Amino acid sequence: MTEVILRLPSGPAPERGLGPAATDMRGGLYGPLEEAFQTWRAAEIAGLAGVLAPDDPDGEEPWTVAAGALRSGRHLRAVAEFAPSFATPVYAAKMSATLQRFTGGRLGWKVTVGGDPAERAAQGDTVTGADALRRADEFLTAARGVWQERPFTFEGDFYRVLEGGFGHPLSGGPFPTVYLSGRTPGELDLSAAHADVHLLRLGDDPEAVRAELDRRAPGRAVRLGVELSVSVRHVGQDDGPPEEVSGRWGGFASLGHTVPEGFVGTPAELAAEFDALRRRGVTVFVVEARPALAEAYRLGEHLLPALADLEREETADAR
Amino acid sequence: MSVDFYWRIGMHGDQRSLTERAATRGDWEPGGPGRIAPALRGGAPDGYAYVEHMADVARSAEAAGFYGGLMPSFPFTDDPWATAGLLARETRGFRFMIAFQPGFLNPVHAARMAASLQRATGGRVVYNVITGGGGPAQLWWGDEVAHDDRYARTSEFLHVHKGVWKERPYTFDGRFYRVRDGALPEALAAQDLPEIYFSGSSAAAIDAAGRHADHYLSWMEPTAALARKFASVREHSAALGRTPRFAVRVDVVARRTERAAWDVVRTGFESADPAALARWRTGDSVGAARSLSFIDGPVSGYRDLEVEPNVWGGFSLLRGGPAFGLVGSYAQVAERIDELIALGVDAFILAGVPHLEEARRVGAEVLPLVTGARRPALV
Repeated sequence: MTEVILRLPSGPAPERGLGPAATDMRGGLYGPLEEAFQTWRAAEIAGLAGVLAPDDPDGEEPWTVAAGALRSGRHLRAVAEFAPSFATPVYAAKMSATLQRFTGGRLGWKVTVGGDPAERAAQGDTVTGADALRRADEFLTAARGVWQERPFTFEGDFYRVLEGGFGHPLSGGPFPTVYLSGRTPGELDLSAAHADVHLLRLGDDPEAVRAELDRRAPGRAVRLGVELSVSVRHVGQDDGPPEEVSGRWGGFASLGHTVPEGFVGTPAELAAEFDALRRRGVTVFVVEARPALAEAYRLGEHLLPALADLEREETADAR
Repeated sequence: MSVDFYWRIGMHGDQRSLTERAATRGDWEPGGPGRIAPALRGGAPDGYAYVEHMADVARSAEAAGFYGGLMPSFPFTDDPWATAGLLARETRGFRFMIAFQPGFLNPVHAARMAASLQRATGGRVVYNVITGGGGPAQLWWGDEVAHDDRYARTSEFLHVHKGVWKERPYTFDGRFYRVRDGALPEALAAQDLPEIYFSGSSAAAIDAAGRHADHYLSWMEPTAALARKFASVREHSAALGRTPRFAVRVDVVARRTERAAWDVVRTGFESADPAALARWRTGDSVGAARSLSFIDGPVSGYRDLEVEPNVWGGFSLLRGGPAFGLVGSYAQVAERIDELIALGVDAFILAGVPHLEEARRVGAEVLPLVTGARRPALV
């Protein structure tokens, strides 16, 4: 089953190119948080599988955003992106247990590991390199441990828990869906051990990554996903990628996207690209698209039905 | 003088009354007839989680004129940060007082989280900073730092949390935390820091409170004990050039007549679990030991626990939580609250079981009789 998860807008509102003559007397009330609120409602209404609350140091905080998203919808999943440094694994699990209990188990964790040391130090995190990978491994082990075992005791280099573990009813919900990413052997080790979904970048070879993961953890079904940008072409479009762009495009950074690689096309063209990846084993699409509100509707109203048609055709062909 | 009245949001389910010990609101007890949120409807779960009841308590307390609600945090409870995030947009003026142990969060991330929540709520986040009593519970949380060091960590956390929020760029190299060139985005940095209610009775706690607390928060205790505690905090704060404010957490059983209020307590006491009562009488728990230390003579009946007029020390037998609270007529309870105000208290966290209905009652019947207080503003 293919899932489309929309990356919520974050960071300062983009410049609208109105020039110095423009005046706006509304005083910045309509900021990124409002845009995030409206986008997650749109994603819910338009039938997307979920939203990603990015860990953007210049934007809103992801757990706050994820909680708001989960509460405002019935179906929408919310994936909070964070580095393990944000809290202890026990506390992260505790917060998540409450969110799972109260939202029908719709929370996901996108755990980031490493990154630019200066950016990490600005976040009060001084663990880098191989240590960051080991810490992530311990974090995920301890968090899952307190959730699923009682008593749970853990002795690691970064975390220790003595006679821990959640009781009823905190332990009742499903552990959050874990999203991990990366291409290095260490990152693949981490995914093989802990990921429910391993996220690729466009250009990665899904079959090769699948083989790497299977070799490390035979029998453990890690799903493959991809993080990408999209722009849905439509009549009367006056924003988005240059008119001549079509198909795979690496210029999304010029539109302010975090994810530079992606696809530009009509819903049918995008569905064909998604479907080609799906046939290679990629079933989760974490999509960045702008303006997020309008694109959420386009994805829900146009891309998802086209994608479902292609999946149905394949099923019919197979018969 | 203005007084802030908070209520409490139960993070561990709620009882239908103070005389029925089972928490049948929420899912801590087995499901069955009479349990709600979640309940069974036609034999199947009705799809309502406990958070729906919490939302109702928050709305009820808001309508009753309470300024906000405390969300306590223990290993067995739901989490206040997560719950506040879920309920952010379901009240308009009602504040969420989030209890948390700073040691479990990174101070930079906590600042981002709180500032985003300030934006989502319109500035309605309040902190109840707790530092943990130590022992097995602390190791359950995965925290091995020793008692006095935990207060040093709390102190450093609050220092960094404020620094990264208000200074840019912010660099700090401390014992527990290191930040280099940190900053919140401008929209977040523009938010107000949450007010800090600080709990803890030890010398280390009082020292940390003196440095960082807006309010020093104590559980209800007999008047003389509270006065001693406050004097110690005042003295310590004065040395740091600060003037502390005081807050008290106090449970309330208030009825039209004093007799009706004591009827509730008597019925609850008589139906308390005999084993719990026996443990309690021998002082075999920390909370009980502290409560018993205020009680003269043997405990043979519920009134033996009335250490001062209307101040009763047996609440922990009737529901989870602190031992002392107020029992009496509406007027008596209001008088006792006025006496606490005279002692220097200018914020209260009141509570009554069941929280939903009692918020209405206390807001309508008791608070209007408190004379030392401004009437809590309706939003």
